[in-house]
Amino acid sequence: MDAAIRTEGLSKNYRSHRALRELNLEVPRGVVFGYLGPNGAGKTTTIRILAGLISPTSGTATVLGNDVVDRCEDVQRHLGYLPGEFVGYPDLTGAQYLRYLAHLRGGVDWSEVERLAKRFELDLGKRFKTLSHGNKQKLGIVQAFMHRPELLILDEPTSGLDPIMQREFLALLRETRADGRTVFLSSHILSDVEAVADTVAILRSGELVITQSVDALREQALRRLELTFSGPPPVDQLKRAAGVQEINWDGSGTVQVEVAGSTAELLRIAAPHQIINVISHDADLEAIFLDYYTARS
Amino acid sequence: MFRNVFWKTLYDQRRGLAGWSAAILILVGLESALWPSMREMTDLQEIYSKLPEELGKLFDLQSMTTGPGFLNAELFTLLLPALFLVYGIGHGAKSVAGEEEDGTLDLLLVMPITGARIVVQKALALFTCLFTLGLALFVATTSMSLVFDVGISAGQAASGSLAMTLLGAEYGALALAVGAIFGRRSTAIGVASAAATAAYVLYAAGLMVDAVEPWRPLSPFDQALTGGPLGAGLPAAYLWLVGGAAALVLIAMPALDGRDIAAHN
Ligand SMILES: Nc1ncnc2c1ncn2[C@@H]1O[C@H](COP(=O)(O)OP(=O)(O)O)[C@@H](O)[C@H]1O
Ligand SMILES: [Mg+2]
Repeated sequence: MDAAIRTEGLSKNYRSHRALRELNLEVPRGVVFGYLGPNGAGKTTTIRILAGLISPTSGTATVLGNDVVDRCEDVQRHLGYLPGEFVGYPDLTGAQYLRYLAHLRGGVDWSEVERLAKRFELDLGKRFKTLSHGNKQKLGIVQAFMHRPELLILDEPTSGLDPIMQREFLALLRETRADGRTVFLSSHILSDVEAVADTVAILRSGELVITQSVDALREQALRRLELTFSGPPPVDQLKRAAGVQEINWDGSGTVQVEVAGSTAELLRIAAPHQIINVISHDADLEAIFLDYYTARS
Repeated sequence: MFRNVFWKTLYDQRRGLAGWSAAILILVGLESALWPSMREMTDLQEIYSKLPEELGKLFDLQSMTTGPGFLNAELFTLLLPALFLVYGIGHGAKSVAGEEEDGTLDLLLVMPITGARIVVQKALALFTCLFTLGLALFVATTSMSLVFDVGISAGQAASGSLAMTLLGAEYGALALAVGAIFGRRSTAIGVASAAATAAYVLYAAGLMVDAVEPWRPLSPFDQALTGGPLGAGLPAAYLWLVGGAAALVLIAMPALDGRDIAAHN
């Protein structure tokens, strides 16, 4: 079967500004794909090309096997789209707005709308202009998911959601993936997508820096461990363990170790030395991410 | 009401249409109420003959001694055209460019319908609204004529109202087309207003300056106002207005699918 999204040499210039340069991207079906990059990297530009709102300067993009320029309507029929700045009609209630979009789509199972609204605790009877930022964003999420599309393209979807709704949203993404459907979501914050994405692509100044599975990314990540021993720590032996980058020892029973990848060998070496406590800090993906953001290109 | 773009646009306009209709009714009512006292003024003819000849031509003052002539001069040659233009251009500019600037156009265009279809439905809604205002004008003119004995027949009122509708439709369609092509409400309003002003100047100059006279029929104002508009019958010149509006919609149709849609921010 075709990939959910495939771009070849996709470029976009705004006058002389090259917002997207020769992007080659492949998103398989049935995954949650995180599209990361700092503000201005070209995420929204990519997404608007995929949604058929702007056309590429050169290169091609296909969505679910259809060219986004030539077969725009075929793409859109199976697409759920949440723009970066979602806006509804100020005077329409959520229900009126969703009915309108549902009609334009040629019909939507209304029980799905109600289910989503209930799940996100969204009052569909309120006018758009009276909704808080978070509730507006929820309405945007409901309209993107209500027709159970094959592919969801979401531009910074978690902005404005409170932590509880954010968790609910991540659960929705996982269920969508379990259905075999595909989610492509952008963010400029890694932690927003790390919890749910299978694969992330990192974009910088319109160029793809890396595409990698989150697991592989985690492998590279530095992990900080605090090992406490009842006697003097075996610092020299620990230094030789695989993956150990740095050891700090202040002469007490506790050493701080930075490890890249697996901590298995380090712990195996430490184990016979009357180790009494291990504190492991989260893999610092953010550091790698920032590294890609800034240094490499 | 939310079945498609056409009905949704009419729904949005419901209050505006009611307000504009009420304004038209009041305006026509006030003007018609003046008629009985105007008719009593025996030396009216004398006053008009003292005014500059050009002014007389522009407002058709010679015929102001009749009811239809009075309303033509007072309302149907400047004030009502201006009202219909303001409504038409405002609505036309809002249709596409307004939605784009507000950021709501994105989701319409991401629905599996073509941009051309959106433009056509928006245009049909614009024309329907102008027709509704024309209908309100017709009702106001005929009913007030009965109340104040202005002596305007249903046929005369119909041609006057149709002329206003068509004039509004032409420049409303221009605003819609410019908005669809450039995506900016201000550009749409600016271009359409400038075009309407130029056309009015051509019309007025044609009436007063002999050298310009041959060009006058090119002006949509001439096409709409010549021979009336109250009591003009159904002049063939109206077809130019219909054709002009239709051509502008045709030009606007491919615009959305052929250009980048601005992101909202
Ligand atoms: N319509 C536009 N005209 C000119 N420049 C634009 C336009 N849209 C985006 N850009 C520029 O293109 C670059 C990429 O923007 P965007 O795709 O919005 O980035 P992101 O979504 O990753 O923050 C930015 O430098 C931005 O300023
Ligand atoms: Mg963006």
